[in-house]
Amino acid sequence: MPRTSAEWGEGPKLPVTHYVDSRIYTEEEIHREEIEKIFNKVWLIACHESEIPDAFDYRTFLHPSGRSLIVMRGEDRTVRSFYNTCSHRGNTLLQEPAGNAKRITCVFHHWAYDAKGNCVNIPREDAGYGARLCKANVGLREVRTSLAYGGFVWVNIDDRGEPLADFIGSAFEDLEVELSHPMEVFHYHQAIVETNYKLWHDTNRELYHDYMHYHNRLTGLSQKGYFDRVYHTYPNGHVQLDSMEIQYQAYKGKQRSLSWPGATKACHKLIDIFPGTTFILRAPSVRVDTMTPLGANKLLIEFRGLGLKADTPEERAERLKEHNALWGPFGLNLHEDLLANEMQTRAMRDGVEPVYVLHAREENSTTHDEIGMRQYYAEWGRRMGRAPHDPFGKRIAAAA
Amino acid sequence: MNADKQISELVYQSCFMLDKLDFAGYLELCAPGFRYRIVAYSPELRKDMVWQEIDKEELKHHFELVPKHVRDKSSVARFPTLYSISYSEDGKRATAFSGLQVFKTRLDGGETKLFGVCRMHDVIELDTGRPRLLSREIRMETRQLGTGSQIPF
Repeated sequence: MPRTSAEWGEGPKLPVTHYVDSRIYTEEEIHREEIEKIFNKVWLIACHESEIPDAFDYRTFLHPSGRSLIVMRGEDRTVRSFYNTCSHRGNTLLQEPAGNAKRITCVFHHWAYDAKGNCVNIPREDAGYGARLCKANVGLREVRTSLAYGGFVWVNIDDRGEPLADFIGSAFEDLEVELSHPMEVFHYHQAIVETNYKLWHDTNRELYHDYMHYHNRLTGLSQKGYFDRVYHTYPNGHVQLDSMEIQYQAYKGKQRSLSWPGATKACHKLIDIFPGTTFILRAPSVRVDTMTPLGANKLLIEFRGLGLKADTPEERAERLKEHNALWGPFGLNLHEDLLANEMQTRAMRDGVEPVYVLHAREENSTTHDEIGMRQYYAEWGRRMGRAPHDPFGKRIAAAA
Repeated sequence: MNADKQISELVYQSCFMLDKLDFAGYLELCAPGFRYRIVAYSPELRKDMVWQEIDKEELKHHFELVPKHVRDKSSVARFPTLYSISYSEDGKRATAFSGLQVFKTRLDGGETKLFGVCRMHDVIELDTGRPRLLSREIRMETRQLGTGSQIPF
């Protein structure tokens, strides 16, 4: 039956853990607080080590805090990260998203830094500063950096936060073998979409939306074993879904020939890392999504497709083709997910009467159970000190 | 009709066919050995990326799948500008080099925005009665396409 305004405004008759208030997706106040309490404190992927293979190679990364970071491989092969900000007048040091620089020289006044973040040149230093300021005290701001879980470069701008290994725990245990093979990024693209980062990540955390994907209905949903997959939750809000064999022949008329070492021929595995990173192995390629929220209703997503460093040209071409058919900017599936998120945002954006968004499916933690999202919002509430179902009601104690 | 005019019409027609979602009409303009490719240089990876590379059969299959998938129903309009045409020595092939601007018009409200800018490099066969596309390579300038496009440029 249709509902009246009063009925519409009532909370669902479900446990409060099973729904959220849509204002957590639309309010700028919440967004600003998320940057401070979540994104400025957790480990995030900045790039993959294959993007900086040689000494002095660098990549820049827009951190959700708004800071641009430099990720650079030193002569000693160590990967370090710094604020992409000159210690002199705050100018952006490196403009290009990638390159090679033995010295990072600010174009403005030619202050220069080495790959370890030391300031190595101040033009007319003695004449201008005498003993009042020296190079040793104006190095770059270094950011904690770890290379792990498939060769990804993880950064954390909070110097006091937990180590990466503690943050991740054993969330990657199901992909440990597959990610142990040296990988290389063959595809990179960005999408800026009008949605909230959590809506995008929600989509990566539930497979109930396979009903939307023609491809997934044919190759997964209607296939044996699909509903037997189990979600496993981990501390700090991470989740992993058991693998299954995708029946590609149902869509393309033939099964794929190429797989991934350590995985079965048409293996599909999924790991979601709080607050917004997703690893998908859909043999024969790996996809990793990372995100930078640009506002409550604006999101930058970075999509990477990966193959093996040891790929022959033929193998690489096959991984590329299969990846692009679904997940490239001209692919058939990715567009569907992004479109659905924009449509959600259109329906619930700021200024519109809030709705309650359900995460209430319970199916013994199997494929269509929404436990992945419930676990996410438990972690979100813990870090934010807000109840996801009532974000502007009584505050709850935030995590330290 | 002279060859330049025929080639010019082929380039413009091919874009218009995709605008109209006349996939069969587009394929009619392609030779049996047609290959379609979308590439983009990534300053992030410092190398070229291939975003789509398919032959005529695969493109036909892709077109058959499009109506079965969910998609943004906004209309897309491709505006090619033909820069140059050149011919092989034996006169059996031509190459056409064009700029391409693609605009998207939202279904709800009709707002039009630039969707993408790219270059288009066509190889055209001339020795089979009427000019047909042997290959098309779209080189993207625009790399940020929002929700993307299931229909090739």
